[in-house]
Amino acid sequence: MGIAERLIEDVGLRRGVSKLTPEKIERIVNAVISGETGARLKAYSETCMRCGLCAEACHFSQSHPDDPSFTPAGKVHQTMGVLLKTGGRVDADFIYGMAQLAYTECNLCRRCVHFCPIGVDTGYIMSTVRRICHKLGVTPQYIQDTAHSHSAVYNQMWVKDVEWTDSLQWQEDEAREEFPGLRIPLEKEGADIYYSVIAPEPKFRTQLIYQAAAIMHAAGVDWTMPAHPGWDNSDMCMFTGDFEMMGRLKRRHFESAQRLKVKRIVMGECGHAFRSVYDVGNRWLGWRWHPVPVMHAVEFYWELIQQGRITLAKKFPGPVTVQDPCNIVRGRGLEDKLREVTRFLVDGDIIEMHPNKEHNFCCAAGGGVINCGPPFKNQRVAGNEVKARQLAATAERGVKTVITPCHNCHGGLHDIIHHHKLGMDLKFLSDIIYECMVKPAA
Amino acid sequence: MNAAYEFVTGPLAWAAWGIFLLGSAWRLVSMYQLAKKKDASSLAFMDWGFSLRSIVNWLIPFNALGWRKSPAMTVATFAFHVCLLVGPIFLAAHVMLWDQFFGISYASLPDNVADVMTLVVIAACLYFAGRRLAQPEVRYITTGQDWLALVIVLAPFLTGFLAYHQVGGYELMIILHVVAGEIMLAAIPFTRLSHMVFAAFTRAYMGSEFGGVRHARDW
Amino acid sequence: MNRTLPVLLALALVLACAQLAPAQQDMKTLAPAAYGNKLTRPPAQFNHDQHNEKAKLADCVVCHHGGKDGKIDRSASTEGTPCADCHALKVQGKGTALTRAYHKQCIGCHQAKGKGPVACGQCHKR
Repeated sequence: MGIAERLIEDVGLRRGVSKLTPEKIERIVNAVISGETGARLKAYSETCMRCGLCAEACHFSQSHPDDPSFTPAGKVHQTMGVLLKTGGRVDADFIYGMAQLAYTECNLCRRCVHFCPIGVDTGYIMSTVRRICHKLGVTPQYIQDTAHSHSAVYNQMWVKDVEWTDSLQWQEDEAREEFPGLRIPLEKEGADIYYSVIAPEPKFRTQLIYQAAAIMHAAGVDWTMPAHPGWDNSDMCMFTGDFEMMGRLKRRHFESAQRLKVKRIVMGECGHAFRSVYDVGNRWLGWRWHPVPVMHAVEFYWELIQQGRITLAKKFPGPVTVQDPCNIVRGRGLEDKLREVTRFLVDGDIIEMHPNKEHNFCCAAGGGVINCGPPFKNQRVAGNEVKARQLAATAERGVKTVITPCHNCHGGLHDIIHHHKLGMDLKFLSDIIYECMVKPAA
Repeated sequence: MNAAYEFVTGPLAWAAWGIFLLGSAWRLVSMYQLAKKKDASSLAFMDWGFSLRSIVNWLIPFNALGWRKSPAMTVATFAFHVCLLVGPIFLAAHVMLWDQFFGISYASLPDNVADVMTLVVIAACLYFAGRRLAQPEVRYITTGQDWLALVIVLAPFLTGFLAYHQVGGYELMIILHVVAGEIMLAAIPFTRLSHMVFAAFTRAYMGSEFGGVRHARDW
Repeated sequence: MNRTLPVLLALALVLACAQLAPAQQDMKTLAPAAYGNKLTRPPAQFNHDQHNEKAKLADCVVCHHGGKDGKIDRSASTEGTPCADCHALKVQGKGTALTRAYHKQCIGCHQAKGKGPVACGQCHKR
């Protein structure tokens, strides 16, 4: 039982640990613990009563009911617990397991918060473990590649500056066949809305940019996108523990919006990017709140609907179910707005998953886990049997469509649905809005 | 006997209370200093209203999702903590000692009620111990510190119960009871029992983050 | 001169006669009628004469003191007066309540002398 018995070979982790010495491990572990942590970690590690209530919280432990090493406290016990007890005197093999566990078996979804009477933030502890792994240079290959991309070109997918603007102009060009007056306004100073996306959108989900542009056009929104780096709001560095790079990314994103003197930032249907911009990166930079107001797409669509700026030509056939992404529900309380938007769009019932809203189970993809790539995919899917059961229960009641306003949730649920042959479709809200809205004629 | 009793109820009691109160105060102050130095980006979000919201919601049995998913533990831990705190404070014999030593007098519980509460604490300790041994997810994470905390808490209640019923040598038992109680007090700031000092603040912090920043419930 | 004392003494005498209080020789426990039948603990074991013999107490005023307003007057003896006659179960204002009086008197002396019971169960035996 424990991470040592389920190690998965990963090039990045293997190369990372091959360069470690006991002295380096001890030095870096203690540098992070004494230099970067304080009262929170101390209080958590001391007052966690090892009651095990959190075992009920985690999709990993719920999906491996016979293996306590998957519980939140069990994961801390195997990682930070050992570091604190030994004062960092651990070997490279231990670091390998610790990194695998922290990067691929915890999604930082914070569902365990609802189970800990004392209020221990396991997500924070696992983030700190990741921070140590990052400083030790032991990170999974795939996610480290995206972090490298971030540091080289300020986006997650090695998208070159010209490719970015090319992709936008390409989408604009395509969309103008359907919406002759449509523009994707680049670098428009003083626009109401600065729309930022994650790099996978220009890279391989360009239809999301197309749809966003269509919605902005139909709703008559005064919006813009930047032509220069800063446009990518995603943040794998936050998840690898590369907080310095996270800070640079968030600064570039905010400053890009400030440079264009926009009124606010609207982010696409992404969860982790929202967490990074709304909750984490700003703090690293010393901003209590945000230099430019930040809004998630779900809330933005809700606002457009409230203002009557989206009219539907038809309704989307239900019933549907709704996936509550951790970062915008547990992280921002958008569960009701998400349902109001869904009700506006869908003809038929919303069949709720159980549990739902802030108590919903994680997709097992977020927190950078899906970004650790193929080596860990099977473990990730196996670690979310509970989500499969949740989805299957709604499918039995006739649900064919899962509304999923988060990219990571999309990826995670896609794999689960495929693996369990549930035959359900995943939709972003923008997919449905675009499909059902009245498209302004030429 | 007299010398021993006087020692444990005199200097040792002062020492235990001193360690408990000053130790707790010191731990709180130093933790706050550390938080100011190292956790400013967390401290900045502390909020009275959301702190209390979280604390109150967690103090209601079966209100939090975690309580609902582990009903046996919920019953045990609520019963345990209520009896643990209320029992000794309002035990007639203890109230009498306050009266005797300091002339402070306040309401006390009927002895049979206090007796049942003591049994509840003992039973809950045994239940917790049973969980640590039998439930894999608890056994996996249990450390020596956890057993220590359990024994430290069990001891004064067990010896108190035996002393009250005058089972076994009373004179030895009452001294053991007093010493066990003093060990518990003195251990609060420096063992897992420090959650008595810190839990309100960790809970408050989580409540503040979830209430003020994330606009979500944390229970 | 303390005026309440003679009054109390007289009162005590009347009460003692009226109740036909048991002689001190027969006294085994401290359970005055003032407590009624609602004793929290078993009554304290106390054999008056045996205790005094063992403690070599000849002077009654050591326990049967006088005083008022919660101040003990060791110069005025209240010999023959049961504790409960002066110390009410509950006091208003100054003065010492009966239970506290017992505890202070007995335990205080035992502590001072380093002898005799001091913990609850040593007197309140089951």
